[in-house]
Amino acid sequence: MFHLNLSLFSKTKSLENKIDFFHDRLLDAAMTFKRAVRVFLDEGHSDNYKKLSKQIKQIEHDADNLRREIESSLYTHNLIPDLRADVLHLVENLDKVINKFDEVTYMFHIEKPEIDTSYHLRINELCDLSAECAENMAKASRAFFRDLSSVRDYSQKVYFIEHESDVSADNLRKAIFDSELPLANKLQLSNFINEIADIADIAEDFIDELLIFTIKRDI
Amino acid sequence: MDITFLFFLSSGLFLGWSLGANDASNIFGTAVGTKMVSFRTAAVISSIFIIIGAVYAGSGTSQTLGHLGSINTLAGAFMAALAAAITIFWMVELSMPISTSQAIVGAIIGWNFFAGKPTDITILTQIVGTWVICPILSGIIAIFLYYLIRLIIRKSHTHLLRQDTYTRIGLIIAGAFGAYALGANNIANVMGVFVPSSPLKDVNFGWGITLNGTQVLFLIGSIAISIGVATYSQKVMNTVGNSIMKMSPLMAWVVVVAQSLVLFLFASQNLKHFLLSHNLPSLPLVPVSSSQAVIGAVMGIGLARGGKNLHWDLIGKIAIGWIATPIIAAGLCYISLFFLQNVFGQVVFLP
Repeated sequence: MFHLNLSLFSKTKSLENKIDFFHDRLLDAAMTFKRAVRVFLDEGHSDNYKKLSKQIKQIEHDADNLRREIESSLYTHNLIPDLRADVLHLVENLDKVINKFDEVTYMFHIEKPEIDTSYHLRINELCDLSAECAENMAKASRAFFRDLSSVRDYSQKVYFIEHESDVSADNLRKAIFDSELPLANKLQLSNFINEIADIADIAEDFIDELLIFTIKRDI
Repeated sequence: MDITFLFFLSSGLFLGWSLGANDASNIFGTAVGTKMVSFRTAAVISSIFIIIGAVYAGSGTSQTLGHLGSINTLAGAFMAALAAAITIFWMVELSMPISTSQAIVGAIIGWNFFAGKPTDITILTQIVGTWVICPILSGIIAIFLYYLIRLIIRKSHTHLLRQDTYTRIGLIIAGAFGAYALGANNIANVMGVFVPSSPLKDVNFGWGITLNGTQVLFLIGSIAISIGVATYSQKVMNTVGNSIMKMSPLMAWVVVVAQSLVLFLFASQNLKHFLLSHNLPSLPLVPVSSSQAVIGAVMGIGLARGGKNLHWDLIGKIAIGWIATPIIAAGLCYISLFFLQNVFGQVVFLP
């Protein structure tokens, strides 16, 4: 029995670490994404940008591996049977946000859009808001595992910032379509804005589910 | 041990088997149903601790039943236990929260009537009062535990996975305590009526372990309960864990501890002596229903959480059970004793 309990504690500890590392990867992806877009706007498709793009790819790859390990551990060791499905759902949705960071960064890498300097400030602002949304989503998710009372605080921040990002994206789209740019450029930039704003939308959807799971987890 | 004794004891053993099959689910039902604890672990722990509880601490509640009615022949005891078992079977068919205690008390009163022996109204009032207090007390303890656990979880910031491990260990410890309390409190229902007429003598098991005749009887009864746990309780546990009372493992822990404490409070002679020696009010040693204690605890948690989704109809069913179960068992026992005496020519009571 003693051995059984010790081994259960060590498995739990190892899985706790993996879940923490997974959240760390999401925060890394958000911060690297902000830097990558800044570098792209300042330097274009430079070596620096390529390096950051590769870095996000690597983060996404590591997160995928961690996700698989977490999923497999939860089932193999029959942990948290009552909340396992919820936790797996959360982890998969967190992974979707990391994938989105990678996808948008890779779009810049492939499409190499030409962006007028007059839009740089506002695009940076939109990227910051989307990344901030994802960061607060990661904090809310981490709190779900350790400190339920903080989930609501971070969730509220996500809702607030997501609204800001919607306003920012709308203003940016309006400015682009009011400009003299060729239609092809307008559509391309609009697509980029949609993709960046999508990150905040996914974070908001994640929080909606997280709050339901929190009610279930609270005793 | 002659074959006649074993034959007459069979109804008590059947009652024990059905108690094990049904009531072990009150202890480990949610833990097994939610796969927090494997059935094998639950069955082994339940069996061991039910036997320890019954043999070590089962005599207190048996004495109370003895004061209510001392069935002085084996045939009479056989029929009382059988009448209780049949009543329980009917109540289960009607989906009532069954109580072996109420059925056996009814059967004893039926025997008292048939034998023309007086029923001690003071003891009866004490027993019936305990049935009413049992779910209420269980509910109060559950509310206290619920707030305590919630406070600990909110303040401790324990990781969900760590909490899961603690809950598993807690469910096993609470289950062991629950099984001990069930054995101590409910063995009287199964074997209590056989105590006055039992021919069993003291047995020395070696290593300084000697059991008196009553303890040997309780050992046999608790083995029957354990067989009920091993052979039939898995089905009931899965039903309890998945449908009737769907609750989180942590809530299950609160319910099991509340229920076990109530059963323990109404079975512990040591606690009674301690309270009496300190001039404190003590609780009577009475067999109570673990199913009704569980319902009390679940209702208590429901109230603590704002009183939503409460099945008030269950309270009504419990109240009907308080009245209907002993009356049916008493009537059935009386009629059966008549047949056993006049058709089969058995001596069902000694004047």
